Amino acid sequence: MPTQDKQPVSPDILLGILKATMPFQVVSDAMLRRIAAISWKVSYRAGDTLYEAGGPADDLYIVVSGKIDHELAPGVNARRPMKTLGEGDVFGWAALLEKVPNRLAKAVCTEDALVIRINGEELLKTFESDPDAGDVVMSRFATMITRDYTVPDLIAQLRGIHRKLHARDAQGMNVTLYRVSRWLKSPRPYLMLLGLSIFFGCWYLAVEVFKLPRFREMPGITTVVTEWLNPNPVFGLSLYTEEYYKHIAVSVWRVTQAFLLATALGVPLGLFLGWSKGVKDYLFPIFEMLRPIPILAWVPIAIVMFVATESAVIFLTFLASFFATALNTMLGVESIDESYTRAANCLGASKSQVFFHVIVPGALPFVFTGLQISVGVSWFSLVAAEMVSGQYGLGYVINTSYTMVRYPTIIIGMITLGAVGYVTSAMVRVAGDYMMQWRVRELALGAR
Amino acid sequence: MARRKFDSKALAKGLFSILVFLVLWEIGSRSKTWITAEAFSGFREALGALGFNKNYLPWVGAIPAPSEVVVAWGKVIVDPGYWQSWWMSGARVGGGFFAAMLVGIPFGLALAVSRTAHGIGFPVFELLRPIPPLAWVPASIIFWPTQELSIAFVTFLGAFYTIVINVVGGARSIDVRYFQAAQSMGSSKADIFRRVILPGTLPSIVVGSAVGMGITWEVVVAAEMISGGGSQSGGTSGGGLGFFIWNSYVGGSYEQIVVGMISIGIAGFISSELLRHFGKYITPWLRLR
Repeated sequence: MPTQDKQPVSPDILLGILKATMPFQVVSDAMLRRIAAISWKVSYRAGDTLYEAGGPADDLYIVVSGKIDHELAPGVNARRPMKTLGEGDVFGWAALLEKVPNRLAKAVCTEDALVIRINGEELLKTFESDPDAGDVVMSRFATMITRDYTVPDLIAQLRGIHRKLHARDAQGMNVTLYRVSRWLKSPRPYLMLLGLSIFFGCWYLAVEVFKLPRFREMPGITTVVTEWLNPNPVFGLSLYTEEYYKHIAVSVWRVTQAFLLATALGVPLGLFLGWSKGVKDYLFPIFEMLRPIPILAWVPIAIVMFVATESAVIFLTFLASFFATALNTMLGVESIDESYTRAANCLGASKSQVFFHVIVPGALPFVFTGLQISVGVSWFSLVAAEMVSGQYGLGYVINTSYTMVRYPTIIIGMITLGAVGYVTSAMVRVAGDYMMQWRVRELALGAR
Repeated sequence: MARRKFDSKALAKGLFSILVFLVLWEIGSRSKTWITAEAFSGFREALGALGFNKNYLPWVGAIPAPSEVVVAWGKVIVDPGYWQSWWMSGARVGGGFFAAMLVGIPFGLALAVSRTAHGIGFPVFELLRPIPPLAWVPASIIFWPTQELSIAFVTFLGAFYTIVINVVGGARSIDVRYFQAAQSMGSSKADIFRRVILPGTLPSIVVGSAVGMGITWEVVVAAEMISGGGSQSGGTSGGGLGFFIWNSYVGGSYEQIVVGMISIGIAGFISSELLRHFGKYITPWLRLR
């Protein structure tokens, strides 16, 4: 057993050491002081064994002076198992791995050494109290494990801690409050307020105070807001009228139908276009021939084609989404690295297996980009279709309010349209992020 | 990619499928004549039972046949009013698009370069962005003194959002190491802007412009339809291609609608291609990849 004298260190000295050590550089002073409180200084003589592979993984070590030989056990599959550590190096990170209760390496002192020991459990607890800072440190450990210790396999274990921190992150009300308070401390919210007040102020001043030429005819902000919040609206549409919600519901229902139809047809078409060269050679020219025609140019022909205006409106809304979805899906399939397909083929995957396990998940990120574009585009063409033909719906509100000189209602319609459109695309984005957590995680680790 | 363009097999396949498409379209839209034959009486009953019109195939039967479209095009192509529509739409698209570039690129760069500008400008931008450009049509008719200006304004909006978003995104995605390298070699702020930010953002400006150009054509057609041509002269001439389509619809000459649709498709395609070639010309370093 090595001779060791375990003694607490003065926080100020420790602060300096921690600050100079790779994973802790960015941590705040307050947090470093808390880490200092759980650290010990230990000295070893040349020839002492700090720990053996298989021993309990309790503490994390930082070399202050001297030399330590660090040899990873053969079972760990390190590319370069041997490493000599000097001042400022960190080892013993097995203490931070999940499901790895034992040491993975042997550490021997080769030159009289002074080290700092930090208990892994305590350290993790400290990180959990401030997951933001903890995350940064943990991702730096991840970098270290791959780059300096050449054992990328072990990243998986660290990643577990990542997720654990994230899960707590989401649960903790404290974290949310912390984020809010940090956001309030940054200049962003105040600049935002400034920007918005400049915008609304200009609107108010130009229209209602100075009554500038051309602006005079526009509805002012106070007129719009009082009309919108009025239980007995002058022009017949406000938050309190049933009709307002009927228009919203009709528009949303049309977009939903068109969007679902476009997704159901566009995604498979895009997948086949990207997957099979034959299909692409035959179908893509037709696709490209029809695509440059603006959706709005289809309006009259759609009215002629469909007897019911309702189906004409949905068809127009569908068309734009369909092209966006199919094209993005195709690009997604083409973006897949060919070596994946080859690897799957070499391992004896059947065509359908390649399709469902390589092509479909590989194209998913692009599919969701396409779906986001598709929602935006479908609102765009819905408005046009509703303005030209159709009854009910927000585009119809805007257009009839113009012809019937109900100017404040136009603005109400525009704002509502913007809000509803924003909510629907946010929903698609959230659904996409949820279904592609593997990719989000990959991006988060991609920085290593 | 360049080699695939001259892939004669793919070209033949493409032409073949377009031919099949046209033939099916021809047969489908001529269904008014052949569906009356005795042999199809059962089929007609089936259509009727499904709630469709018994006199022609659903949907495609209502569209004029390609041969009729070609004939109508032949008539229209010598009409100066048709070319006038091309010119008017083109001028509106060009005007709105260049205004969007002129305002959007500096605005986007300002948002990308200055944190303060981003803090002040971006929330307002994000507040207005979800409102589809076409919803602005009535408001812009009220605001602008001439209809020409209001159409140009809506066209401008269509391209503006895309260009700004692309400029900001492009500037954001520049590798930090370029800035660090430039800074450590003693570049001034102006140098960094001129030598790092501008060339780094150029590819996204090109992409944003190409997408914006597409949207501009969409918007111009709609704006022309909704505002009734934008030309005081009225009639079949002088109102732009969107008005040409609308007028053909009102006048009941369905072949001309399709002529108009194809014309707009061609116009949009040409302008995007021109833009793409120009983009390749100003970003020569991307060709190496």
